[in-house]
Amino acid sequence: MTATRKWKLFRENLWSQNPVFVQVLGICSTLAVTNVVKNTLVMCLGLIFTTTLSNLALSLIRNWIPPRVRMMVEVLVIACMVIVVDIFLKAFYPDISRQLGPYVGLIITNCIVMGHTEAVALSSPPLPSLVDGFSAGVGYSYVLLLIACCRELLGTGSVWGVHVLGPHWVNWSIMVMAPGGFFVLAVFVWIVKGWFMRPAQKAQA
Amino acid sequence: MTARMREGLRTAGFMFALTLVVITCVSALQLATAERVSRNAALFLQRAVMEVAGVPVPDDPAAVASWFQRSVAAEPAAAPTRFSVRDLESGALRAQVFTCQGRGLWGLITAVVGVDPATRSFRQIRFLDQNETPGLGARITEAWFMRQIEGKTGPFVLKPEGTRSAAPTEIDGITGATITSAAVRDMLNGVLSEARKGKEAAK
Repeated sequence: MTATRKWKLFRENLWSQNPVFVQVLGICSTLAVTNVVKNTLVMCLGLIFTTTLSNLALSLIRNWIPPRVRMMVEVLVIACMVIVVDIFLKAFYPDISRQLGPYVGLIITNCIVMGHTEAVALSSPPLPSLVDGFSAGVGYSYVLLLIACCRELLGTGSVWGVHVLGPHWVNWSIMVMAPGGFFVLAVFVWIVKGWFMRPAQKAQA
Repeated sequence: MTARMREGLRTAGFMFALTLVVITCVSALQLATAERVSRNAALFLQRAVMEVAGVPVPDDPAAVASWFQRSVAAEPAAAPTRFSVRDLESGALRAQVFTCQGRGLWGLITAVVGVDPATRSFRQIRFLDQNETPGLGARITEAWFMRQIEGKTGPFVLKPEGTRSAAPTEIDGITGATITSAAVRDMLNGVLSEARKGKEAAK
């Protein structure tokens, strides 16, 4: 695979094949962790680490994996990566680990990770798999961070814990609850697909 | 041996080998960081005791540990639930700190609460462990919530958030987190009876 192909793959994962607003994967965590920007960032870094390394590892052993147990193997490798992230946070960033609670462990069940190992890592050489895993993680992360900024701002009047909306701002409690995640995500998908992606789709038609 | 059996054996062997590799890696990492993790937990408890006793907390972990060793008597020794905090210079009892537990919405909430030995009123509360909803129940860890019991005597009843009541038996709950707020109220009231028991035993 040439450098330009890899670059194309990278761009696709960020925009035209974005895991969140095009493929609509990983929505569970989009709803769960996006009410505070700081937690979202740590979650995103954990996910980028997991998608990148599990794609690489599975691509390296792809020719030896017996087809009947391939999903078990995928989950095993992904779970290993996630536990590494969890232990690392517990040991070196205990405060963040305490705040994130069970969410780090839930990366294991994130559909993006398994979707990309299944679709790309099992059929491609290591380097493209690595690029694909990394870009899928980044594509997921920037969307989540945007959503988190909206939710934290409207829900608590602050961004990154710093109060910005002044004393007269009335918090929209629904924004920090799961339904707020649905609303912001829906509006986000609407804007992106209706506004930015419409001309491209029309041109294709 | 048939081809099917060979295929099955190969599959089982592969899974076994991979699991072994994965478990070895994870266990090694766990063992390598175990000491650090338990040190983090101990430091967190010491800091929390220091905060609820009303002692300014230094940044240096070693200073916290040395203060804790010199001025706190923890009992029972194996798994302490009561801490008597003495003043370093005068040796007078400065605060009594109790650990307490309650059932939150998602799991156990563990906290330490400071009680003033002279007036029997509360100092602050710090949460050691909680898994409440971020943005709702988890707001019990916000500064205003943990500070609001200071100087109050309880037993507590909950008032709507924003009341900011100064009455000695009232605390603000958190809107949208009734179960969590009630759990904290019950924990505080539990500490009161615990403290009373301790006092009667001392007599």
